[in-house]
Amino acid sequence: MRVVIAEDLFLLREGLASLLKEHGFDIAGTVGDGPSLLRALIELRPDVAIVDVRLPPAHTDEGLRAALEARRQVPGLPVLILSTHVERLYARELLADQAGGVGYLLKDRVFTDEQFTDALRTVARGGTVMDPEVVAKLLARRASQSPVTRLTDREREVLALIAEGRSNGAIAQRLVVSDKAVSKHCTSIFAKLDLPPSGDDNRRVLAVLAHLDS
Amino acid sequence: MLFAIVLLLTIGCIVFVVVREAKRTSRPDGLRGRIRDRGWGLLLLPIAMAAAVMAGGAHGLIPAELGLAALAIGFAPKLAAKLVPYGLLGLAIFGVMLASTYNDGNTSQVQYLFVHAVSRGATELVLAEAALLFVAGLWLLLRLDAPPAGLVRALTARWLGSGRRGIAGAQALFLIPVAGLIMQLLGPGNWFGWQAIDGLDAALMDLTLLGAALVLIFRSRVWAATLAAAGLLVLGAYGWVIAVFWPVVPGFEYGFADLRNSPAPSPLWSVALEGSILLAAGLWLAPRAMRHHLTDLPDPELAARARQLTQRVQTLTQTRHDAVDTAAAELRRIERDLHDGAQARLVALGMSLQAAQRLFPTNPEAALALVAEAKESSSLALTELRDLVRGIYPPVLADRGLADAIRALALDTPLPVELDLDLPGEVELPVASAVYFSVAEALANVTKHAGARAVRIQLSYSSGMLRAQVTDDGAGGADPALGSGLAGVERRLATFDGILAVSSPPGGPTILVIEVPCALSSPKISSC
Repeated sequence: MRVVIAEDLFLLREGLASLLKEHGFDIAGTVGDGPSLLRALIELRPDVAIVDVRLPPAHTDEGLRAALEARRQVPGLPVLILSTHVERLYARELLADQAGGVGYLLKDRVFTDEQFTDALRTVARGGTVMDPEVVAKLLARRASQSPVTRLTDREREVLALIAEGRSNGAIAQRLVVSDKAVSKHCTSIFAKLDLPPSGDDNRRVLAVLAHLDS
Repeated sequence: MLFAIVLLLTIGCIVFVVVREAKRTSRPDGLRGRIRDRGWGLLLLPIAMAAAVMAGGAHGLIPAELGLAALAIGFAPKLAAKLVPYGLLGLAIFGVMLASTYNDGNTSQVQYLFVHAVSRGATELVLAEAALLFVAGLWLLLRLDAPPAGLVRALTARWLGSGRRGIAGAQALFLIPVAGLIMQLLGPGNWFGWQAIDGLDAALMDLTLLGAALVLIFRSRVWAATLAAAGLLVLGAYGWVIAVFWPVVPGFEYGFADLRNSPAPSPLWSVALEGSILLAAGLWLAPRAMRHHLTDLPDPELAARARQLTQRVQTLTQTRHDAVDTAAAELRRIERDLHDGAQARLVALGMSLQAAQRLFPTNPEAALALVAEAKESSSLALTELRDLVRGIYPPVLADRGLADAIRALALDTPLPVELDLDLPGEVELPVASAVYFSVAEALANVTKHAGARAVRIQLSYSSGMLRAQVTDDGAGGADPALGSGLAGVERRLATFDGILAVSSPPGGPTILVIEVPCALSSPKISSC
């Protein structure tokens, strides 16, 4: 799987590259600033790109802008955004095209390689992965309002994991329950939130995120 | 009759001084003070004598007045001393009145001090003596600090001192005699020598002139003095014209010179003398008045500007002090957060790794557990650093500017927020940060206290003023004086001359308005 890494800090860039190589990824290229990222994304067409939000030259949100521009030119180009902080505003912009193939994670998540590489593969497959912190913010905002309040604690837990982009299997493993129990929770959640049931994992994530972010 | 008035005046003064003296308990201190006071008081005797002589000499008043004066000197030396200036002033007034009765044709004989007045011829000498007495009385009044001395002093200071307006009142007062002379020359039958105007017109013109003169003197001394100088020069020159061309110009009055009334018209040299005096006064006053026009701005403007600047300096001093204070407190907080948070976590992390290294050869499983712990520590350190950074300068504000930062803020608020953001450019970072944290504080208050169902944030910019308004439909009753949060917002904004206004009646709604003067730069252009 070919990956492009956009990160201006040398240590982190090399660390990421060696970590990914260890897990069998193929590093198609590494870049350190916004303009060259956009060029690399368009020319190299990687299977997935790892992009730091803040990049030179201006050190603002060049990485994000370059990723959004590349996805405008190549719809659905899988991009995993890394940042030291997460903003719902940016999450909303990433999800706006509903095309999938999007991830938005805190840089800390890299510490847990399996979860990180899982997320990278999900994004590369066209899935959607949101950082638990983004999801927590979405749920916190909805806490005072219906219909999320109608969910049981367990259902809210499951909802959060769905929103993060996890499959039923991963959720079951995480909560130490059976797959069947998870799908039962899912049915119940979707009914309570008036969402159309969906077998497709990615459609399901997008629907939940859209609902929470509305 | 006149003497009775003078006597009444003197008695009035005595009563006044006695009453005032009775209220005062302190006595003159030391022998020297006593003698000195008594010495001044002795003057009361010749005054009483003179008054009695003027009254005609035959009266039984002489012993009575002398006795009273002696009693005052003996038993109340300070009181006697204080009475002296009033006596002198009284005699001076009497002299003026005497002179005026002679002028009216009175012929009775009166001994006025050294002058044996019998007819009109003696009036000049009587007046001169009266003037001397008046000056001496006034001087003593000030010297002894007798009751109206303060008033006299204040008045003289006001008219003679050059004071804050730059030109002495006395100089400005020249305008009154100048106006008077012009009025005389404009008088009926005396219109600069031509019979051109009737009495009513002249009176109206006189009134207007006098009014204008008074307004000028009290509104602007500099302008009054300028006009006075100009008037003095013109009128003085006019006096010389009359003196040289007389009798070509028909007869009229010029100042004290009466050129019209035969049988005894004033000599022409008196006109020339008056003209010369006026010219001299004009030449003396003109440069003094002009100096102010050349060097000074109009005084009221200067004063207003000075007041403004003083106020500005006070505000700046206060806000600078607050800003430095706030910055210092903020740095202290950051230092403490780093010390207790990230630094402590990193120490723990190092220790875990150290222990793991030691355990690896013997107990790899325990070592792995320690490494996991270290990872957890670094995660927590990152979280804490993230929160700290957000508090120092929100990343989204640095990335996207004020409007998007407020949008992000709205998204993080657990309430429906209606946004109306209309910002045609970018706000400079320090102001943006102040406004951002102010709005954040307002939103936090709404969430915590107001019990609101919805919030509306408006952001707009017009004519150099950035305006943010946060409106909620909560319970109201917010007061910047109560919570330290809003007071902090006020201080934060004051650094940029910004203001916070809160309208929060009980029952709501609460409207919070922030206004900061600032410039906008052109909108940020994407670098990609």
